[in-house]
Amino acid sequence: MDELDLLKKDWNKDDNKYPKLTYNEIYKMILKKSSSIVKWIFIISLLEFAFWTLISFLLKGTKSMEHYDQLDNDPIFISLVVIGYGILAFFFYMFFRNYRRISTTDSAKVLMENILKTRKTVKQYVAFNLIYLVITTFFALYISLNRNEVILDQIEKAAANGEAFKFYAIFIILVVLFLAIAIGILLLFYWVVYGILLKRLNRNYKELKKLEI
Amino acid sequence: MNKELEHNFVELLEKHQNIVHKVCRLYTNNYDAHNDLFQEITIQLWKAYPKFRGDAKFSTWMYRVGLNTAITLYRKSKRTINTQDFNGVEFKIKTEDYDDTEEEQLKILYKAVHQLNDIEKALVFLYLEDKDYREISETLGISEVNARVKMNRIKTKLKTILNP
Repeated sequence: MDELDLLKKDWNKDDNKYPKLTYNEIYKMILKKSSSIVKWIFIISLLEFAFWTLISFLLKGTKSMEHYDQLDNDPIFISLVVIGYGILAFFFYMFFRNYRRISTTDSAKVLMENILKTRKTVKQYVAFNLIYLVITTFFALYISLNRNEVILDQIEKAAANGEAFKFYAIFIILVVLFLAIAIGILLLFYWVVYGILLKRLNRNYKELKKLEI
Repeated sequence: MNKELEHNFVELLEKHQNIVHKVCRLYTNNYDAHNDLFQEITIQLWKAYPKFRGDAKFSTWMYRVGLNTAITLYRKSKRTINTQDFNGVEFKIKTEDYDDTEEEQLKILYKAVHQLNDIEKALVFLYLEDKDYREISETLGISEVNARVKMNRIKTKLKTILNP
């Protein structure tokens, strides 16, 4: 006899070997909160959206940005802001659409794909934000070097000492370093959080995909 | 959600709870983990219940949600990670029904099944529950042919574990 058939014989033999929960015990269970990965992905994703929206507000509120008030009428700056909000709305919509598609009554493969798709939306949004951060920083850097009076003063002083190049170099290196550290911390955070959360799902999804070959 | 829906659901689940226990038996190896997974599957079943239509059998619908929770959604809680002890869950197996060798073989078999990966366990589970390859393929989202091929591989794998 086949090994599995032997197991099957035993498997269906005696249903009384399992614990028997009462009506009340089951009722209590449905009142409890889920700790599924979908719930965690949802919470973390919302936090990510909140984080990036907050960051953009905070940046706008800082003193150093007051120098750029004059930029409010700058067409490039305005279009960057409009594009930023438009894209936030787009990603937010996509995220909810994908999230609502996650259903435990789908096949295992479709369920996993929908979860990964929801994740991907947030991932793309974060990638967009990082690129956006780099672009706006360089844009701000360019504006500072050309229009900010305090900095222009310093450039003049540096130029008088023949250190204009050094001044530019230090300024740019500091900005690049700041960006690298910020992006590095974020990527590390991602790697840890999603690494833990999605390890099992990714492994099982790969296993299912492997069967298709 | 309304009381009647709650009542219907709890009553149905109470009646069919063995399906959930069986999923937990394959995917966990101690009492705490068993209860933990049972609870998560119950919550997921409840969340999906409003969309449950009578056109599918309640039990068939349970297989899907139960396995999906075990394979995809469930996060092992901290207290259940370190235990590898399969005998932790005390199932009252009636030993007098078996002769010694068969009982011994079953023990090794259950242990071997526990060594399979999550997807293989799902296939074994549905097979043990007497589901045909069409249903297995639909539940997992793979083709019927692939389900068959995979099942044969699992059988060989188990054979090797049993007769090294």
